[in-house]
Amino acid sequence: MAGPGALWEALWALLPRTKEELKLELGEKVEGSVVMLLQEAAELLYGDRRQECLQTCEALLDYSWEKLNTGPWQHVDKGWRQVYSFGCLLKAVCLCAPPGDAASVAAALKACDMGLLMGAAILGDILLKVTAVLQKHLLSGKRPAPSPSQEPLGIKKARNDHVPIPDMTSERTVPRLHCPSLQYFRKHFLDPGRPVILEGVANHWPCMKKWSLEYIQAIAGCRTVPVEVGSRYTDEEWSQTLMTVDEFISKYIGNEPKDIGYLAQHQLFDQIPELKQDISIPDYCCLGAGEEEEITINAWFGPQGTVSPLHQDPQQNFLAQVMGRKYIRLYSPQESEALYPHDTHLLHNTSQVDVENPDVEKFPRFAEAPFLSCILSPGEILFIPVKYWHYVRALDLSFSVSFWWS
Amino acid sequence: MAEERRGAWFGFGFCGFGQALGSGRGRQVHSPEPLRAPGAGLDVCRVSASWSYTALVTRGGGRVELSGFAVGAAGGCRDAWASEELLVVLRAGPGPGAGTELQAWTPGSALRGEPLWAQTVPEAEREDGPGGDETQAGPLPLLPCARAYVSPRPPFYRPLAPTLRARRLELGAEHALLLDAAGQVFSWGGGRHGQLGHGTLEAEPEPRLLQALQGLTMAEVAAGGWHSLCVSEAGDIYIWGWNESGQLALPTRSLAEDGKTTAEASGLNEDGSEVKTVAGGEDGAPAPFIAVQPFPALLDLPLGSDAVKASCGSRHTAVVTRTGELYTWGWGKYGQLGHKDTTSLDRPCRVKYFVDKQLQVRTVSCGPWNTYVYAVEKEKS
Repeated sequence: MAGPGALWEALWALLPRTKEELKLELGEKVEGSVVMLLQEAAELLYGDRRQECLQTCEALLDYSWEKLNTGPWQHVDKGWRQVYSFGCLLKAVCLCAPPGDAASVAAALKACDMGLLMGAAILGDILLKVTAVLQKHLLSGKRPAPSPSQEPLGIKKARNDHVPIPDMTSERTVPRLHCPSLQYFRKHFLDPGRPVILEGVANHWPCMKKWSLEYIQAIAGCRTVPVEVGSRYTDEEWSQTLMTVDEFISKYIGNEPKDIGYLAQHQLFDQIPELKQDISIPDYCCLGAGEEEEITINAWFGPQGTVSPLHQDPQQNFLAQVMGRKYIRLYSPQESEALYPHDTHLLHNTSQVDVENPDVEKFPRFAEAPFLSCILSPGEILFIPVKYWHYVRALDLSFSVSFWWS
Repeated sequence: MAEERRGAWFGFGFCGFGQALGSGRGRQVHSPEPLRAPGAGLDVCRVSASWSYTALVTRGGGRVELSGFAVGAAGGCRDAWASEELLVVLRAGPGPGAGTELQAWTPGSALRGEPLWAQTVPEAEREDGPGGDETQAGPLPLLPCARAYVSPRPPFYRPLAPTLRARRLELGAEHALLLDAAGQVFSWGGGRHGQLGHGTLEAEPEPRLLQALQGLTMAEVAAGGWHSLCVSEAGDIYIWGWNESGQLALPTRSLAEDGKTTAEASGLNEDGSEVKTVAGGEDGAPAPFIAVQPFPALLDLPLGSDAVKASCGSRHTAVVTRTGELYTWGWGKYGQLGHKDTTSLDRPCRVKYFVDKQLQVRTVSCGPWNTYVYAVEKEKS
């Protein structure tokens, strides 16, 4: 394992040589008091006063965290997110000072992840570079990942007899196409807003062969990610929390988990660029008006049984299935009234109806609403047109990647 | 009649900018310390603390003294209100009938040169009632005429509907609370953390009456970052909003994960020693965690004490009882709870310092991460 001195050197190679070169252009919303404290933190770091630097970083992180929690997330000023990132960066570097034991380095990695999750890019995406260095350092000390033939955590094979596979004999299924041309797809599905399953498009992506629990643990095991706990996000007991991927797998994917945990709607590929190399952006996205950089790519990783309640999204969606199968039901936006959306602003894009167990008295029109359904399997991509209502249940341990584009 | 006994101000919590807080040494003070700052020896009638600086207002000369990130002093000031974006000061006009001037400064250049903006505001309308000052509209950010209030973000001057006879107004991070002359509470602004108390997470653009408190007469309101509190004339506390650090004195998940939740509640015996009981449902299961409380909840203090004054920081709460005790709870990371440590609490705990020193707490005023207390010596019987 590389010595702690080597880690320290590798980190300092990423930082500006002097504190004067640490550019703090945070915009006018960030108050003078905060800028002063940040400058002080930088001085303390470059002055080798690490304990005091850590204390100052805590105040910066706590204060900017409060700003991040004020008002809707989309309206949080970028400056505050940058302050948060700076706090994470300086904290992470301090924690890696020699002797740099494993616990401190893991804490430093967590700090970086918090900056990546909630902050905004600073110093040319320095947090990504720092996490790469930290991860490399942590992994060089780990035992090699178990060979693929092993079953980690005693996970049993999918027990199909216990899984309620839906009886789809009376359901209209989503049409399937093998590698349609761009024009065909646009004319028959994109423009009229009709769902379709694309085969032969994603099945050769590296992820289809490479991804397994072991691989995910090897690449991302020590990284902190947001996890949703609870059966569905409309439940009272539903909550969001943070944990490492290793913790998520051991708590929610291993044997007999106590609760449902879902690593859902998370831009994992921005956080861990290495994984991005295993996927591709479907060519059909170029039919949209938006730029490729504007496409939002989300990871959806969870055990058998996760449910996304019936809802609609404001963009076009390609849902690529990588591991496991998902039962998906689709309702046209024209049926919206029969789906009884919540009347609150927060949940206006979510139906009140539990699709596979509807309350027919409370929601009488639901039973008559026409729908399409499918079981999406590894290698397949489902096109969900903009505002098309969709309900998703994982039939197996599942990993999906969604592409939101316009 | 005003208190004749000599009192003093104390402070504890975050002072990372060197603002007046006891000794002011180090970044945090975990136990109450007497204020030692210019002006603290004088008769300080109001403390307004922002995150990075504190403003002390003195009676008589009407001085405002600043310490921390903002420094300076000025005379002729009736009131001051400190926020990170603006320092707001009310200055009496040059003579009777000359009106009052509202001045706003950026903290970094406070009280030097010209203010960022200034406006003459109407005088307060005198209302009939016992005791002079108490019946006038409360302190800033409510203006003396009670027809408008000051906001740290533009528009700075915000009128209130004439039908609202405001007595007190407090601002949170994204909401506002108003107490009217009849003891009713109104709230408006952002509601994503349940801080408006109307039972939803929806925002309210205009002041909306809290229906849940109908029939009760409130004497005090206090706004924290994302939580709200009011105290009834009878001394009962109602509290609602975000509970992520236990600031509502309800069980919170974050503290449970640290093994410190109130899901195992403790009570106090008569002598103040603790008794452990298990709170929760009828089947004895521990109480569920509450992240957000969108309706007012009644909160009992230990020993059934009556509350008289309250103030909230970003994520902590402080209450003064009729018998002169101070209870604090919520986020404690910077010592703002005054219990000699940095533990957060999801149940009210008495600040022993004042009991031990035989001091009676009279009023409390919280900054975002600290707490200021005014206390007098107990009468010797």
